[in-house]
Amino acid sequence: MLSLSARPILSAFLPKPKPRRLLLLLRPRRSSASASALTPPTPRTTTPDPPEDADPTPLFLRPPTHPVPEASLAAFRRRAAALVPPSAPHLHRHLRWLLADASAPAPSGADPAAPHLLRAPLDELEALWLRHVRDRRPFQYVVGNEHWKDLVVAVRDGVLIPRPETETVVDMVAAVEGFQDGWWADLGTGSGAIAVAVARMLGPGGRVFATDVSEVAVEVARLNVQRYGVQDKVEIRRGSWFEPLEDVKGKLMGVISNPPYIPTDDLPGLQPEVGWHEPKLALDGGKDGLDHLLHLCEGLSSALMPGGFFVFETNGNKQSEFLVDFISTKWSSSFCDVEAVLDFADIKRFVRGYRR
Amino acid sequence: MAARALLLRATARCCSPLHSPTAAPRLHPRLRSHAAAAAPQLRFPALSFSASAASTSSHGPSGGDAGEGEDDKGAYENYLGMSDDELMAQCDMGTFKSSGPGGQHRNKRESAVRLRHHPTGIVAQAVEDRSQHKNRSSALSRLRTLIALKVRRPINLDNYTPPVELLQILPLKSTIRSKDVGSQIGPNNPKFSPGMQALLDLLFAVEGSVSEAAKILGLSTGALSRLILSDDSLRAAANELRASKGLKPLR
Ligand SMILES: C[S@@+](CC[C@H](N)C(=O)[O-])C[C@H]1O[C@@H](n2cnc3c(N)ncnc32)[C@H](O)[C@@H]1O
Repeated sequence: MLSLSARPILSAFLPKPKPRRLLLLLRPRRSSASASALTPPTPRTTTPDPPEDADPTPLFLRPPTHPVPEASLAAFRRRAAALVPPSAPHLHRHLRWLLADASAPAPSGADPAAPHLLRAPLDELEALWLRHVRDRRPFQYVVGNEHWKDLVVAVRDGVLIPRPETETVVDMVAAVEGFQDGWWADLGTGSGAIAVAVARMLGPGGRVFATDVSEVAVEVARLNVQRYGVQDKVEIRRGSWFEPLEDVKGKLMGVISNPPYIPTDDLPGLQPEVGWHEPKLALDGGKDGLDHLLHLCEGLSSALMPGGFFVFETNGNKQSEFLVDFISTKWSSSFCDVEAVLDFADIKRFVRGYRR
Repeated sequence: MAARALLLRATARCCSPLHSPTAAPRLHPRLRSHAAAAAPQLRFPALSFSASAASTSSHGPSGGDAGEGEDDKGAYENYLGMSDDELMAQCDMGTFKSSGPGGQHRNKRESAVRLRHHPTGIVAQAVEDRSQHKNRSSALSRLRTLIALKVRRPINLDNYTPPVELLQILPLKSTIRSKDVGSQIGPNNPKFSPGMQALLDLLFAVEGSVSEAAKILGLSTGALSRLILSDDSLRAAANELRASKGLKPLR
C-alpha cells in the first residue's frame, strides 16, 4: 500500500548543535582545485555555500517565531515571483513550497488579520530564494528536506539529496523473504533515507547498520533516525564501507548501497544544482565510476550470511551489465541469481543477487 | 495464472536457506506484490488478470462471487480488485521517460506522475503534490475511478446477484441489502469505485434503464437516480451510457 501517513516524531527536533563547528562543516568542501573542475564556464556563485550566518537547523524544522504582516508576505511573494525566469516555470511551484515549509501551520479559526508566523526572518527567506534562483542551490537544501517515498527526509549542504530512483531499493528489500527479522547494512547512508525506510518495515528482530565516512552525513542520518523514532532499529557508524562492521561480519541478511558512481570525467558536466552544490564525496566514483562498487563487491561475501541478499544502485546500463557479468564469472561459486533491475525510466539501475 | 508464475520466478531463489524452494509456492501475497513493484521488467505483462488471480490481493472487496463466477470465460479483468502494487505493475509511469542519465546525475524535483494503464489504455495523472509518492498514490486512485467509469464488464442478467461492493454503495432502504453489508459507502471512500463500476455494468446490461436497474437493486427509480446524481463523474458516465442507447440524460 502507498501509505500517506508518515508523521515524524515532532518532539525530536535537531538539538541545536555547536554552531561554530557545524558552520565549518557546512562550508563548501570543494578545494579550489576541484572547484575549477566542477565549475562550468560562467558560474555566478560568489556567496559561500551557505553564508556565515546561516542557521544549521533545516528551515522546515525551525520554530516559527518570526511574525510577518500579511502585506509584507504578499509583497515578498510578488518580488520572489518576479525573479522567476519564463524558462523555469517550475520555480513558481518551489516558491509555494518554500512558503509552506517556512510557515507555521495556520491554526484553524485563526484571526486572518493576525501576523503570519515564519520560521526565518523575511530577509533571510529572500536571500535563500535568490540563491536558489540565481545560484542554482538545490531547492531541497533551501527548505532542508526532500519528500522521498512516504518520508520527509531532512537534508542539508554536504549530504546527498536522495533520488527518486533509489526508492525502489527499499521495495526490493521488502521482497526478500524473512527480511523483517534480519540484520541489514546500508553502506554510504548519506541522509539515512534508505536506512530509515527499511527500519520502518522491520520486525522486532530486525536491525539496520548504517555507515558513512562523512561527518555531515552521519549527523543528518542521526537526525532522520530520531525524527522517525527508529533509534532502536538503526545503528549509525562512521567509517569507510565495511570497516565499521567487523563485529557483524557474516551475520548480515542484506547489504544495500547507493555508492558514488559517476565517472570523475563526467562531474564537470553535471547540472549546476548537482555539480556546484552536492558533495563530490557522494558522487565521484573514480575513473570509470566503479571504484566504490568494485570495493563493495569484494567485501560482500564475507559480510553476508549464507543466502544473504545484496542490492547496489549503479550509473545505469553499462555499469550494471559489467557488474552482473563480473560477479557471475569471478565469484560464480559465491553468488547466485545476480541480475540487473530496471528503474522507472527502463535504465538498468540496480544490481542485485544472493550469496550462496 | 501466467502472472503468478512470473511473479514467483522473481522471488523464488535457487540456492539459499533463506529461500527454501518449498516456501516459494505459498509466498505471502504482500511479498508477491512487492516483487512486482521491485521488478519493473515485469511491468507490462500482456495478461488479463483473472478474478481468481486478483482475489488474493489485500485491497478492496475480494471480487464478489456473484458478479464473476458466472461469466462464460470464467474470468475477466477485475482491475479494481487488484492491490495498488499489482495495478501499478500494469502501468507505465511517464515521469521519468526521456530524462537523461538519471540517478545521482539529476536533481529535478519533478514530482508529476502520469500513469498509463496498459491493458485498458487509460491514462491518469497527478501533479499537485511535491511528493512523487503522493502523486503516484493520487494518480492510482484516479486510475481506479477512471477504470470504474470506463471499463464495462458483461453481466448475465438471468442469474445476476449484485456483488457486495455494489450493495455497499446503495442506500440502506434497498430491499436486497442485508444488515451485514454495513453502512453506505459514499463517493469519497476509495471503496466507492468498485461499487460504481458494478453499478455501471448493471446499467449497461439493462440498456441504460434506471427503472430496470432500480428494480434489480430493490430501490425506487427516484432513489437510484439520486444515487447516480450524487457523484458528478458517475452521473456523467451514466448519462453518456444512456445517450448511447438513445435515452435522455438524468438531471
Ligand atoms: C550517492 S550517496 C548515497 C546516499 C544515500 N544512501 C542515498 O541513497 O541517498 C553516497 C554516500 O556514500 C558516502 N561515501 C563516500 N565514500 C564512502 C566511503 N569510503 N565509505 C562510506 N561511505 C562513503 C558519501 O558520503 C555519501 O553519503
